[in-house]
Amino acid sequence: MAESVKLTIPSDPKYFSLVRKVVFHLLTSHAVSRDLIPRLVLCIDEACSNIIKYSYGDCNDQPIEMSFSLSENLFEIKIRDFGKQCDPKDIKPRSIHEIKPGGLGTYFINEIMDEVKYCTNRDKGTLLTMCKDLKGEPTSIRKEIG
Amino acid sequence: MSLDLKINQNGNGAVTLLIEGDIDMSSSPLVRTQLTDLFKKNQKAIIVDLSKVAYVDSSGIATLVEGLQWSHANNTKFRLVCLTPMVKDVFEIARLLTVFEVFESHKEALEGV
Repeated sequence: MAESVKLTIPSDPKYFSLVRKVVFHLLTSHAVSRDLIPRLVLCIDEACSNIIKYSYGDCNDQPIEMSFSLSENLFEIKIRDFGKQCDPKDIKPRSIHEIKPGGLGTYFINEIMDEVKYCTNRDKGTLLTMCKDLKGEPTSIRKEIG
Repeated sequence: MSLDLKINQNGNGAVTLLIEGDIDMSSSPLVRTQLTDLFKKNQKAIIVDLSKVAYVDSSGIATLVEGLQWSHANNTKFRLVCLTPMVKDVFEIARLLTVFEVFESHKEALEGV
């Protein structure tokens, strides 16, 4: 049976360290690979950063709702905002061959997570769902091997 | 999580910026401001010590990429030293480890400055 933790923070990056602590604690208490935990934490951080920048236009008092579900093999993250919607087709990582600041957050999410879905089928905001198979190798390691 | 920045002059025109804490969206502007100040002083080399940084996100990486670009424009050496495993992993995922000059120790980082 999956265990679930829910967390709501204001859209202010000063709360990111709190989110990192919660997720780190949740994943370590479930014996998730030590190599994988910082990568999963990074994806959550990047998703919240994108919400603040693009959905809420750097406004720091809007809600970000998160739920983290852990089963034996799967970590599922849902992150909900109530800000500006954009077409999921427009959410693209920058080319990794470009050496320039910015645009890396979406690249990290796509590189690390096994499944990433943006749902805008609602009046306001977006629901982002990210899944990671906990029994597999970290995605980028797998790609390097392959 | 607070961020602490310390500057150490190395006496040969090189300066070390020691960063302590997590570099994320809330703290990376502080690092950027500090790097801006250091580049204005026309240092021969800026060495960024990441030994006390347990966490970095894309905004932190972007700040360091900006530093690298300023170093090319100013003809200043810009080097990273003592990356922690998490920070090194993020650089590896971003395929940036070979783009920066990265060193294991201060002694190595100061060579050839």
